[in-house]
Amino acid sequence: FLHYSLSIALPPLSYLVAQVRPLHGSGCGQQQEAVGMEMRPETFSIFRTQENDPDCQSEQHQGQYYTVPPSHFHTVFPHGLPPRYQQQVKTFNEGCVMVRQPALELISHLKRADYSKPTLRYLLYGVKGSGKTMSLCHTVHYCSTQGWLVLHIPDAHLWVKNCKELLPSSYHASRFDQPIQASNWLRNFRTTNENFLSKIKLRQRYVWTKRESTEEGQPLGELVDMGVSRVKSSSDVVGAVLKELRLQAGGTEGGFRLAVAVDGVNGLWGRTTLKKEDKSPVAPEELTLVHNLRKMINNDWCGGAVIATLSQTGSLYAPSSAYLPQELLGEEGFDSMDPFIPVPVSLYSEKEFESCYLYYLDRHWLQHPHSQTEEGKKELIFLSNRNPSVLERLCAFL
Amino acid sequence: MASTSGLRTTLSKMAASLTGLLKPWTPRVLLVRWSRYNPYYLEPEPRKEVYHIPETELTPEQKEERELKSVRPIKAATNSVTSSVFNDPVLSKFVNMMMKDGDKIIAKGIITQTLENMKRKQVEKYHKAPEGKKAEIECNPYAIFHQALENCKPVIGLASIQKGGKFYQVPIPLTDNRRRFLAMKWMITECRDNKHRRTLMYEKLSQELLAAFSKEGNVVKRKHELHKMAESNRAYAHYRWW
Repeated sequence: FLHYSLSIALPPLSYLVAQVRPLHGSGCGQQQEAVGMEMRPETFSIFRTQENDPDCQSEQHQGQYYTVPPSHFHTVFPHGLPPRYQQQVKTFNEGCVMVRQPALELISHLKRADYSKPTLRYLLYGVKGSGKTMSLCHTVHYCSTQGWLVLHIPDAHLWVKNCKELLPSSYHASRFDQPIQASNWLRNFRTTNENFLSKIKLRQRYVWTKRESTEEGQPLGELVDMGVSRVKSSSDVVGAVLKELRLQAGGTEGGFRLAVAVDGVNGLWGRTTLKKEDKSPVAPEELTLVHNLRKMINNDWCGGAVIATLSQTGSLYAPSSAYLPQELLGEEGFDSMDPFIPVPVSLYSEKEFESCYLYYLDRHWLQHPHSQTEEGKKELIFLSNRNPSVLERLCAFL
Repeated sequence: MASTSGLRTTLSKMAASLTGLLKPWTPRVLLVRWSRYNPYYLEPEPRKEVYHIPETELTPEQKEERELKSVRPIKAATNSVTSSVFNDPVLSKFVNMMMKDGDKIIAKGIITQTLENMKRKQVEKYHKAPEGKKAEIECNPYAIFHQALENCKPVIGLASIQKGGKFYQVPIPLTDNRRRFLAMKWMITECRDNKHRRTLMYEKLSQELLAAFSKEGNVVKRKHELHKMAESNRAYAHYRWW
């Protein structure tokens, strides 16, 4: 283990001392001390950082892993994480995320943006497996710790394919509802934003059926509970929730900041695999959920940010080599998203690869005797080309 | 004459139906390595260490061999040959035995999933175990696989030998290759036969391998039964003549 630390330039010991001083006046130092006491004794490791607050992370922490506190896990990420990462969290008994340049860039933009102007759209793009979803989750964690309301759609592709029940919408004749997907999403939304549900009051009266309606001034929590219990009208409830949040996000009295995090945003423009009863294909505009989400992604509201990720993995009718925004979003999508701030996500750099390798060694994940040698490491670099997901899959059986 | 004309009409009918089937076809997997090479061809050398020896440190035999290789043609290497440090011949043999219809990708995929599954279970146990118990938990899936296979290998086998019109089950010694083959065969058949319809192969295989590692499970039971049969048939041991 020691000879790895020698091959990388060691930062001076003053690094440890500097962290104890309060950095931003937001009490990062005190928080860090308290955190340090809960976990294991501070051993100096090159790949871990004790700075678990995304607000206080900076370029010096690049390539290092920070631990998401277990209490945050179930509230912030009920549905956002990639499935293999969830398995890894269960195996290692801890959730560690690497601090990488795209996420740091996004967080710095979010810190300095002017929230009285129309929303900025950020788009994470990169080759398959380069870490777009994980960067998105890091940013969502930051927004959550800063007290923003987070609207996290784990995968927009799930709404345009494999839908067992497609009901015709009661609100609009030519649209279709997806009750199961909508009610699942509302349940997860409720888990993420418990504290906001009682504070936000509705500004409009919503009538669901002849006997049911939600009055003006009711808390948002009631609307969400209604959507979860009455599955039939859950898609319309989602539309109502999105509209309310859009109206109230930039408000001066009791104003909150809204973060819309969409993974696989290219699924909203494109084709669906769903079919109507007469076997004709359903266009994405004809789905209530997609229609309402598209309105959310427009930049005609203020007081928040839209962070989106492109994804080829779940996409429909897109070639596997496509990763650029123009290719995946198509004409229509690009025109709707334009203007946006593109954030490229690259493969691991040498430092990041070292960090990942050391992390796996530390967690006893690399068990093959040869994988712990220099030869094995060179072979891993060669086989994975430093692609994060390929490396993860390789190390899984080594 | 009628029979030959009848034969000709049936053949022409067959030809007419077959022409529709005989489309230009190339097999999906093309064989590059023939099984019968001219003895002139030399074997390929996949090990990396051989090529890293500098010119000065070569023995005269090695120098001669290198000169020969520069003039003689070399056989194509098979797909199973690698210069990777992670290559394991026992595991390759297991993959080949699990393979059906030449589909090595699926077989290799199942084995890698099995190794991952075993490692996940053991590492999870390791991280949740108290400090004293951590050293006893074996996390290396390759070590578990090899140990489990060792625990499944029978020491003595039975052969059917005919004597005086009847066949007797005679205990015989087994070669190493035969023992390894039997262990692998039992493991694979056990997982294929006694598996619930909804359980996936890698899940069942990882359960069986972990059980065999701790000397429990159906495969080890089968080995013990073979040993008991051999013990009970000790009287016939002298029927063996080799």
